[in-house]
Amino acid sequence: MMSKISKSMILIIGLMLLYIPIIIVCLLSFNDSMRPYEFNGFTLKWYQAIFTDKSLFNAIINTWLIALCAMIISTTAGTFIALQISKLKQKYKPLVMFLNNMPILNADIVTGISLMIIFSILGFSFGKYTMLLAHVFFCTPFVVLSILPRLKQLDDNAYDAARDLGCSHFQAIIKVIIPAIKIGIITGALIAFTMSIDDFIISYYTTGSGFSNFSTWIYSRLNRRTFNPAAYAYNTIIILGSLLTLVYINLNSKGGKKIEKN
Amino acid sequence: MKTPNIILPLYLIWLIILVFIPFLLMIFLAFSHTNGLDFSHIRFSLINFKEIADPIYFNAYLNSIILSASASLLCLLIGYPIALIISKIKKNSLRNIILIMFILPMWSNMLIRIMGWEILFNPNSILNVLGISLDLIGSPLAIIIGMVSTYLPFMIFPIYTAINKLDQALIEASYDLGANKRQTFRKVILPLSLPGIYSGLTMVFLPSATNFALPERLSGGNIVLLGNLINSNFGKTFNYGFGSLLSVILITIIFITMIFINHKDKDGDLLI
Repeated sequence: MMSKISKSMILIIGLMLLYIPIIIVCLLSFNDSMRPYEFNGFTLKWYQAIFTDKSLFNAIINTWLIALCAMIISTTAGTFIALQISKLKQKYKPLVMFLNNMPILNADIVTGISLMIIFSILGFSFGKYTMLLAHVFFCTPFVVLSILPRLKQLDDNAYDAARDLGCSHFQAIIKVIIPAIKIGIITGALIAFTMSIDDFIISYYTTGSGFSNFSTWIYSRLNRRTFNPAAYAYNTIIILGSLLTLVYINLNSKGGKKIEKN
Repeated sequence: MKTPNIILPLYLIWLIILVFIPFLLMIFLAFSHTNGLDFSHIRFSLINFKEIADPIYFNAYLNSIILSASASLLCLLIGYPIALIISKIKKNSLRNIILIMFILPMWSNMLIRIMGWEILFNPNSILNVLGISLDLIGSPLAIIIGMVSTYLPFMIFPIYTAINKLDQALIEASYDLGANKRQTFRKVILPLSLPGIYSGLTMVFLPSATNFALPERLSGGNIVLLGNLINSNFGKTFNYGFGSLLSVILITIIFITMIFINHKDKDGDLLI
């Protein structure tokens, strides 16, 4: 229906829209000048500056800690919540799913403000714990959503069979159910991590003055015009790092398939 | 599993506390005149409703609708063919690589990506080396490009999932019954991928209209969208009443969309 040329054209347009800003930032991370409109020569000093700019370095560490904690908590909770939802009577399911999907479809700014209002009414002091709570809040629904389809495919008798064969309730879940829905759990964990590490708006509303993640750090620096291009360097490391990891995984899984065929 | 578990009721209570109680509070705040969350001087008032109709805000409403709608439409026009092309790739490894290429940019920080465009759109940019000056900052086009670039993956993936879920036998049946490629697309593939399209449109439109950082950076503060309006009322002027009213309207729109999407997409798996 589409010619080969128009197919590649549309793919290229899509990829250009996504990659142009990333490439610009990557170029600037090697630029010796502070000003983004002139190129003074190649440098690696911004890569060093990631470690010397204390506030940036802390923000990066915070981002990773929050993302890891949020991922672990939301994946664990989400798995058990999904297990419970799958056992619900059909008539309750739509309501529960509606509640679950609300944070996903809600605009970030509304979620952020909602959490800010409720946290301040509850008297929480804003900082890392409120931000973590907020991240767990918006990550968990994604985990639930990615696990539920896997549970649907699961044979209803698998759990009973495990119990008949002598497993305890706990063993049946750990040894039979969890391995069967493993892909859903991993997908959910990855989505949770991605959402958390890239979040700006919700973090902005739920953190206190002393605690920032990478996004809120950038935003505050942009408005104060004390931006450090080391942030470009960090972003480039992340993109290149994930690219290499994905290429590695892809090559490895191809190798695995070859072995299987042999 | 027969053992009753406490975690689901707890989760529902948690969702109600964090979603619906704030929503009720916002409705309450929308009908009151207050400064911040200071409940001691709170009084009933319809001042926020008067403020929302103030013509100085019309531009923000109009901008939000026009710019976000254009971005959503562009995302659909670019994203649908891409989703279709990816789903038609037969070789697994090639398909995975192209899928990954569309996921990878999401791991770059959103603000950094917006800054990338900002740097490019400035009259003085790296492009001056080539003798080009885009000078787009402050133009609606800059904001639309920024939105499409930021949210395009959110259009591609729901549509891709919807097309992938489609029963191949239906497409074969359509060919067997004499339909050509174009007819098969129009009468089989397109209607069956509509849930993905609805999902994608929502996932692009709402964030576009409410992301306050994007217009701030790409318009130099000249173009104000709904998100900026809400943000400035909560963050700068502490006019929580007006900010709440805007949020309540937004939530109502989201509710209606959700009911619509829930109706079209029973499994709910097109949201991710």
